[in-house]
Amino acid sequence: MLRVDLHPTHDSDCGKFKLRVGKPLPFGATIVQGGVNFSVYSRIATSCTLVLFSKGEQKPCATIPFKDEFRIGNVFTMVVFDLDYENIEYGFYIDGPFNAHEGHRCDKTKILMDPYAKAIGGRDVWGKAPDWSDAYQHRARICFDDFDWENDRPLETPVEDLVIYEAHVRGFTRHSSSGVKHPGTFSGIREKIAYLKELGVNCIELMPIHEFDEFENSRISSASGKMLMNYWGYSNVGFFAPKAGFAATGKLGMQVDECKTMIKELHKNGIEVILDVVFNHTAEGNERGPYISYRGIDNKTYYLLTPEGYYFNFSGCGNTLNCNNPIVRSMILDCLRYWASDYHVDGFRFDLASILGRDQNGAPMHSPPLLESLAFDPILGKCKLIAEAWDAGGLYQVGSFPAWGRWAEWNGKYRDDIRKFIKGEPGMLGAVAQRLQGSPDLYSWEGRGACASVNFITAHDGFTLYDMVSYNDKHNEANGENNSDGSNDNDSWNCGVEGETEDPAVNCLRIKQMKNAAALLLVSQGTPMILAGDEFANTQWGNNNAYCQDNEISWIDWRMLKKNRELFNFFSQMIAFRKAHPVLRNRAHFQNRDYMGSGYADITWHGQKAWDVDWSPESRRIAFLLCGHHAKGGTVDDNGIYVAMNMHWQSALFELPQLPSGMIWHVFANTDAPAPQDIWQPGKEVELADQSAFMLGSRSVVILVGKKTR
Amino acid sequence: MEITTTALDGVTVIKLSGSLDGNTVNAAQEMILPLASTKGAAVIMDLGACAYISSAGLRLLLMAAKQMSAIGGVMVLSGLSPEVQDVMEMTGFNNFFKSFEDVPSAFSALTTVKKGA
Repeated sequence: MLRVDLHPTHDSDCGKFKLRVGKPLPFGATIVQGGVNFSVYSRIATSCTLVLFSKGEQKPCATIPFKDEFRIGNVFTMVVFDLDYENIEYGFYIDGPFNAHEGHRCDKTKILMDPYAKAIGGRDVWGKAPDWSDAYQHRARICFDDFDWENDRPLETPVEDLVIYEAHVRGFTRHSSSGVKHPGTFSGIREKIAYLKELGVNCIELMPIHEFDEFENSRISSASGKMLMNYWGYSNVGFFAPKAGFAATGKLGMQVDECKTMIKELHKNGIEVILDVVFNHTAEGNERGPYISYRGIDNKTYYLLTPEGYYFNFSGCGNTLNCNNPIVRSMILDCLRYWASDYHVDGFRFDLASILGRDQNGAPMHSPPLLESLAFDPILGKCKLIAEAWDAGGLYQVGSFPAWGRWAEWNGKYRDDIRKFIKGEPGMLGAVAQRLQGSPDLYSWEGRGACASVNFITAHDGFTLYDMVSYNDKHNEANGENNSDGSNDNDSWNCGVEGETEDPAVNCLRIKQMKNAAALLLVSQGTPMILAGDEFANTQWGNNNAYCQDNEISWIDWRMLKKNRELFNFFSQMIAFRKAHPVLRNRAHFQNRDYMGSGYADITWHGQKAWDVDWSPESRRIAFLLCGHHAKGGTVDDNGIYVAMNMHWQSALFELPQLPSGMIWHVFANTDAPAPQDIWQPGKEVELADQSAFMLGSRSVVILVGKKTR
Repeated sequence: MEITTTALDGVTVIKLSGSLDGNTVNAAQEMILPLASTKGAAVIMDLGACAYISSAGLRLLLMAAKQMSAIGGVMVLSGLSPEVQDVMEMTGFNNFFKSFEDVPSAFSALTTVKKGA
């Protein structure tokens, strides 16, 4: 179709470029016929100038002011014709008020990145020292949006069937032992797909992959002499661009295609992708931070400011994004829609999500409009939405995060209670019973169900599983802050020796404790999440806050897989067991009654005596029986499953609840038994000789299946 | 960049030498698209002397291949350098092409298919 607006109407002042008025939406740079449509919002700007660079050049190749007739409302927009858009970078000069007391920080000498930049240059190769004399450090680029997805789409795996695996793109394959062709990249993850399938996880949750600056606050550690970097990446430069340094093709500017190809391949193999997104603050820091984009475009719109014009710091990172400002709210929504539709991402985990529920003065809201918009958004309609339901400003909303039936939460109480139970603390049975059932005490209101609970014992933040059973205290000296950073509440136990040891009894106990954790996690109702590397006892040598460690402390050491094959096998069989048994994957909470007429309630509790639990504070022994006829609310039939837990340091005899006639107890797992008797393939469990009782070893978990004998 | 075409037994060989990137993609497009609109055309894209292909270049190849297959033609690649091959794998473009070591092997594959038909 011929269009009359294919032709320019104006010449640029320099005479080099043909222009016409653009379309205000979508924001950002969009390839249109004959040129590129640029559109940027600022409520306070008095003028705006497009700055163009040849890729990587410090000096602009052109500056093109937006003519008066190119502004509509608070949006500057124009089409520039005949741009070699593959080889340019662009930014904006914005003139407007500078009055810090009023919250305005315009500075027309700064080159500002487009908040909607779909690709960002300047840190194309991870760790390559930037040229600090360059006035434009993070450089907006124009990218193609015509990726050929063929028949791919987000997988929409029911949330109760997910087994999430949390990984850092770089740390996952950067270690020389990973054996991949392109270590530390999106392509590296692709090469590990076969491994992920062998383990059995069906969802990978990636720590931040939006463009960030690994050199932000980089410094030499006084303790180790090594370079400390912004390795985790919880500090966004841009929300719409994948981290170029995570792509092996980043140096060629092809990170968008590489990231999408990774997602497409993961999907082909039945693995969902959840992104860890950081909307609580940006990399611009506080009053002393750099001009990257937002503060120079419209400081007061993008940030929460004190009445005196200083930055509120609810994130602990210098500033706080003004999430419930309508403009910022739209940007966040646009961003998530973009990742869901253009990248086929399956879900999002929101870092410090409680900030998203604060109003423009920082006060927590009852019904935060942003969270409500996300819950009801049509494009995000099938996306998983997972909140880290707290922030650094003291808001703690585990169990009370505004949900509208859509939001799940990282269940921090699950982590804390299960850890305490595993280490043998007294008085934990009541809490643990709740956690194993998908925390109905936290999530039964408004029908949120068991899958509002993302269950995890370890995550990137804190000890790895191995460190949880090997260290009583954190060892963060390498972070260069005299071991004062990182949490002191680890609920860990070193099994008798702090750190590495040759003592076989200690190492044996550690393996058993890790198996206990895996067993509890994977028989709990709710959605389990495993930290990458925990399945083969990856260590950070006691560092529980490795955010700045771009080295062997954080990189997963794949040699441990060979060494700890036994633990890997235990994890993979536990995952297979969970997948084989729908009774472990209920969306709704238990009703504690027999609504199927099977003679057993959906869940029943037991102890050393069947049907009788010792709930006293000193008791560390409990068991539960799931009735298979009640699986998924009674809609499918499953075997009965009995899980006995003895977290006492002495072994104990557990009397077994009686099965219906014709059914026999089979042993699936016993963490006290040496491999290979510790766990069996689902379906190949061994018949139990004594059907009336089971002797549990000290600190051990036993899983039985009640089924017909073959 | 240099583009030469030769015809051999009903197969057109397009040889691209140099870099296929934003600077050269328009010229290449002008050469390739007319061929891609000929029904039943068979094209070997000889990239043996092509050191670098950018995003725009990869898109041109994919667009041409799709356009040709839509009208009963076929386009194959030959002589990819290991670097170009690697980039195509990482960005997923390799999924859409048959690729051969050199022109003769591409040629024999194409003519076998033709004879078979």
